[in-house]
Amino acid sequence: MKAATKAGKKKNALTPMTFSLLHATDFADRLLYNIIPPLKAGMIVLADRYTYTAFARDAARGVDRRWVRELYNFAVKPDLAVYFKVPIEVSVDRLLARRLKLKFYEAGLDMGWSANAIESFRIFQGKVLDEYDRCVDEFGLSVINASGSITEQQRVFRRLVSQHLEIEANDEQLDESA
Amino acid sequence: MTSSSTNPPELETIRAQPGCYYSYGIPYLPIDQYPGRLIAIEGTDGVGRSTQIRLLREWLEVQGYGVIETGWTRSELMQPTIELAKASNTLNKLTFVLLYATDFADRLEKEIIPALKAGFIVLSDRYIFTALARAGVRGVDRQWIRNLYGFGIAPHLVFYLKIDEKTLIRRVLQARGMDYWESGMDLKLGDDIYESFRAYQRALLKEYTVLAEEYGFHVLDARRKVEVIQDELRRQIAGFLSESEISPVGVRPE
Repeated sequence: MKAATKAGKKKNALTPMTFSLLHATDFADRLLYNIIPPLKAGMIVLADRYTYTAFARDAARGVDRRWVRELYNFAVKPDLAVYFKVPIEVSVDRLLARRLKLKFYEAGLDMGWSANAIESFRIFQGKVLDEYDRCVDEFGLSVINASGSITEQQRVFRRLVSQHLEIEANDEQLDESA
Repeated sequence: MTSSSTNPPELETIRAQPGCYYSYGIPYLPIDQYPGRLIAIEGTDGVGRSTQIRLLREWLEVQGYGVIETGWTRSELMQPTIELAKASNTLNKLTFVLLYATDFADRLEKEIIPALKAGFIVLSDRYIFTALARAGVRGVDRQWIRNLYGFGIAPHLVFYLKIDEKTLIRRVLQARGMDYWESGMDLKLGDDIYESFRAYQRALLKEYTVLAEEYGFHVLDARRKVEVIQDELRRQIAGFLSESEISPVGVRPE
């Protein structure tokens, strides 16, 4: 699975539709092998990105929103979905600071919005964030303000999870380690 | 997505005008009023699809039509991956369905849509119905697979080369023997490849019969001689092309 995605990306041969479908295939594979078995065993699965990432990214690329949502109908509905939200400037600054060079698809260069990678990325990221906002309302995502400190974010995050699992929030440990 | 119920009564058949998307389509690729024509030839293994398509192509090209052929799992992007996945038997039915859909999307955007735009006749060796039939046999949710292929374009004509189980088995055995996938061995119907093949092909034929009704296939008896079938195909296609006022684009075969 990874091989086809990688090869397609390398050749810049993917269209928004094939990009979307390849990621759905990869997701289906991970769902069946890495997510469903631990759920059956009663474990907690922490998923770093889930179907909402695809909803936001694919719709930003011009794929039909309703189609992507139906495509992922086979996914397990999460018990809790948390969206770490940052304003567009922060998002762009953070991502740009972390990497020397933006990758082709990451920057949305396949869309032809701008030949300049950073400018293209800014446009793409703006659209992605708009799509995430839609998802917040549509799927009732819990939003955490991700502009604040990691400690603060983790405090809120733990409170959310504790409420959900009906266990005591343990902030003391957090304060020590942070 | 799988479902235990085999035939939900509320199944929404996707009807679309020929040459239009079945459902939501691809928003960034509007295809209205494209002059080309899409003709699909469906049928199980061993019904002689490729022979018929080769003959149709020659006939159309001689008349001056521009023709392209497209076939299942023939995309540049996906073919190596699908071959690999088949060889290693590692994929489950859901990932398989999605790989086929990706292959189809790639060919649709890169071969079929550009050809329709340029006024070509697209001859499709198998079409989305192959995917629907195979997924149906494997218990994949019928509504979900139809929604998935909602980005497909409704063909102007779909011919179904129909064959009975007995003839089908003899033809496949004569041609090249049975293979793992054509025998539906992934369905674990049994260890006996012959019995599995029979059960699988019978189930497939049943699916095609339902699809023929649902999507209005032109059904042709594929047990007849190649020339007889070809004559009937040509008669029906000629009738359609004269009605639809499509004229040859003047592209001569190279």
